[in-house]
Amino acid sequence: MMNAHQQQHPRRILIVDDEDLIVMAMRKYFEGLGFLVDGAFELEEAQALLANYRYDLVIADLRLTGIGGVEGLQIVSDVHQRCANTRVVLLSAYGTPEIERESYNRGADAFLHKPKAMMEIAHVARTLLDQ
Amino acid sequence: MADHRALDAILQPGGITSVFQPICAVDDGHWSIASFECLSRGPKGTNFESANVLFDYVRLKREETLVDRACIKTALSAARALPPEAHLGLNVHASTLGRDPGFIDFLRGAADTNGIAFHRLTIEVVEHAPPWDGLAFLSMLDRLRNHGARIALDDVGLGQSNFKMLLDVRPDFMKIDRYFIEHCATDANRQAVIEVVTRLAQRFGAQVVAEGVEDQATVKMLQLLGITLMQGFLFSEPVEARGVAALYETASTNRPRP
Repeated sequence: MMNAHQQQHPRRILIVDDEDLIVMAMRKYFEGLGFLVDGAFELEEAQALLANYRYDLVIADLRLTGIGGVEGLQIVSDVHQRCANTRVVLLSAYGTPEIERESYNRGADAFLHKPKAMMEIAHVARTLLDQ
Repeated sequence: MADHRALDAILQPGGITSVFQPICAVDDGHWSIASFECLSRGPKGTNFESANVLFDYVRLKREETLVDRACIKTALSAARALPPEAHLGLNVHASTLGRDPGFIDFLRGAADTNGIAFHRLTIEVVEHAPPWDGLAFLSMLDRLRNHGARIALDDVGLGQSNFKMLLDVRPDFMKIDRYFIEHCATDANRQAVIEVVTRLAQRFGAQVVAEGVEDQATVKMLQLLGITLMQGFLFSEPVEARGVAALYETASTNRPRP
């Protein structure tokens, strides 16, 4: 449940995934929970948004450009450089222990293995935002 | 494989729209329209409707040349609806001027197609991503001047619009970024910066344009500092070409918008 302050000042989330359907579904889900949601489909689009807006939370897929991509790590670094208060959740279907470790080294707050139910992602997001 | 979906959407016909914001000559509280800055917006309903997001993205993609051309083509086409005497400022990245040897032919073609005389054009040099080919850049500026265009340096005082750029570009106009203009009425340090730029412009034989003017107190302070060319929401937000006629009407009544 959102408190009165959250209703007046909704938290802003950026969702980054190269799959349109995932961005659309997550946008709808989080908007339904009262968040302001932006979506981006590629690394540079996410970086341009991060340069212009302040986000409370970024949820990014690790891989944005096909096989072998680890653009999500770059997003973690960018967020960490721009705003220490922004939380970052990385999602991946291909996460190795090394990549997961690297994510945390760069400042990720959570690393979730796909597939993950929207409800579980939202639970992690809320826990991070309430810390 | 690199993802170019957003770039494709930006470059498709209708992806970019042009709006025009007047640069006003202010004299003793009265104002008239001196020229228009052509501004670009990305596809409606996308993140790129914001010009800042659009151009940050374009620079990250290193596609300034492609997108600058698309923006100019759209702006000059839309500008056909403006009065034939209206002067137009076109934003162009310094990197485009330095890397695109065909730029002047492209610009001449776009101007001719839309019946816009070259002397009506001011190229507003914006720069965020050096290095560019310095010699090619300067040579392109000379060629633009030789064809009758004037040169403005955007965002003076910020980033790459520094003293070296001023010396290299020798602009006809120096545009002071809104960062220095906002709150200048009450901030002596901002006044000092504006005063220095104004003196510098006088030495260069350039005119100063103050960006981001939003209230009468700022107008008065800028006039005290010797600035007459101003741009900002006090006069008008950027409007589509069809809204320009109404701006001339407002200007003819000689009073700033409330």
